[in-house]
Amino acid sequence: MLGLGIESTAHTFSCAIIEKKGKKGKILSDIRKIFRPEAGQGIHPREASRHHIEHSPIVLSECLKEADVSIADLDIISYAAGPGLGPCLRVGAVVARSLSSFYKIPIYPVNHAIGHIELGKLLTGARDPLVLLVSGGHTMLLSFLDKQWRVFGETLDITLGQLLDQFGRSLGFASPCGKNIEELASTSSNYVSLPYSVKGNDVSFSGLLSATKSVSQKSKIDACYSLQETAFAMISETVERALSFTSKKELMIVGGVAANKRLSAMLKDVCKRHGCKFFVVPLQYAGDCGSQICWTGLLESQVKEGVLLKDTFVTQSWRLDSVKVDY
Amino acid sequence: MLVKLIKKGAEADIYTGVWKNYKSIFKIRKIKNYRNASLDSKIRKQRTIKESQILSQVKSFGIPSPLVYFVDLEKTMIVMQEIPGKPVHDLSELKIIQSSKEIGKLVGLLHKNGVMHGDLTTSNFILFKNIIYMIDFGLSQNTIKPEDHAVDLRLIKEILNSAHAKIMQSCWKNFLAGYKSVVGITYQTKIVKLVSDIESRGRYAEVV
Repeated sequence: MLGLGIESTAHTFSCAIIEKKGKKGKILSDIRKIFRPEAGQGIHPREASRHHIEHSPIVLSECLKEADVSIADLDIISYAAGPGLGPCLRVGAVVARSLSSFYKIPIYPVNHAIGHIELGKLLTGARDPLVLLVSGGHTMLLSFLDKQWRVFGETLDITLGQLLDQFGRSLGFASPCGKNIEELASTSSNYVSLPYSVKGNDVSFSGLLSATKSVSQKSKIDACYSLQETAFAMISETVERALSFTSKKELMIVGGVAANKRLSAMLKDVCKRHGCKFFVVPLQYAGDCGSQICWTGLLESQVKEGVLLKDTFVTQSWRLDSVKVDY
Repeated sequence: MLVKLIKKGAEADIYTGVWKNYKSIFKIRKIKNYRNASLDSKIRKQRTIKESQILSQVKSFGIPSPLVYFVDLEKTMIVMQEIPGKPVHDLSELKIIQSSKEIGKLVGLLHKNGVMHGDLTTSNFILFKNIIYMIDFGLSQNTIKPEDHAVDLRLIKEILNSAHAKIMQSCWKNFLAGYKSVVGITYQTKIVKLVSDIESRGRYAEVV
């Protein structure tokens, strides 16, 4: 089976083609164009959607070319229907609908967050993991039970990605700022005490963000170092809580912040302590990409027909724990 | 004297052993190498102190909990009474539903006396000889803020929803009935409202 997946939830517009044989999937192409706001600024939904509109034809044609596939060969088309920024989501949906209706190809709306998890499972081979989803849109601990992903813990306010981005922007970086902060952090080892807020299995980052901003006026590198140490220790603690509560033997980390090496190192240590296997999604597929949407659509096509064009919605707020998983 | 590691918990290792001829639980918060050393030592010390204080405090509210025998701050270790029962988490579904009401009452007692537990999961209640004991006060705080009490309720709701999804509705109903019987309808209504407020602040919560 050949599928095309279209991702456009936030800063990334991406198309990917995957060939599915049985339980195996092979990524034939995955082309992305990422909207880069000016330094110190965040993603403006209108500007990002304009970027996506401008780049969608090129990304699509490059994607087909690299996979050496023509549109008529496709068995299904899937698109990210949420959660995300409304104007951005609509771009992907419009492209998907146009192709689906013109070429009469079944169409599948996919939950972006489920996409991160399913692609992670495909690429790492994890079977029944506790999932840590850390990105600009999500900070959640999940496990699969009775046809649904269940949330064990999550952020009560902003996400880990937002924490890093908003702090990074206050230093004058452009989103996404995780990499800049990681680089600065690695040059310091002076820990400045910051608010540590773990509430059971949940975390809260907003107080930490404000406190770090004031520390950064004295030393930027100490602030970056202490921010990472505090935030990642909070995440690691909730992971430990969830591992010990669920007795899961696998941990899989997905989402954009999975690219951070310090976070991986801490979680690796956590896994060692709990005798648990550690999986981290390959760097290239940690962030938003068409593959995550494509693969989830292909999985859904095993048990479902495509939806009618009139039901091809987009939803800005679409929690992944409300999705029934039947495959 | 330590005898046997019985559980590697999230933040501490739990051993059984003997303390002055009593069979006891040794809860040791070991160094976590992945954490920055000064942050690590701060967290371990603070929680050891808080937990031992609150363990003693809650007994005066009538909440069954282990007796504290000894605290060693250098080793960040608490020696306490062993409750040789079964965590509510591991009981049959029927028993969990039944226990929910008593758990609600205990949480009500805690809140009424100005303490939040901070880690309300079904693993932190032990059923022994028909009495439910509350354990693990590492994240507890003295607080009369309704928001803090709501955080407690939200956590147990989240746990029921994730770990006990099939019986969640009956458990939650029973929990609230027990809670209400202690704190009264007015306070209960207020806290439940705050729980929905917290949920609506969550990421991608259902918005109209």
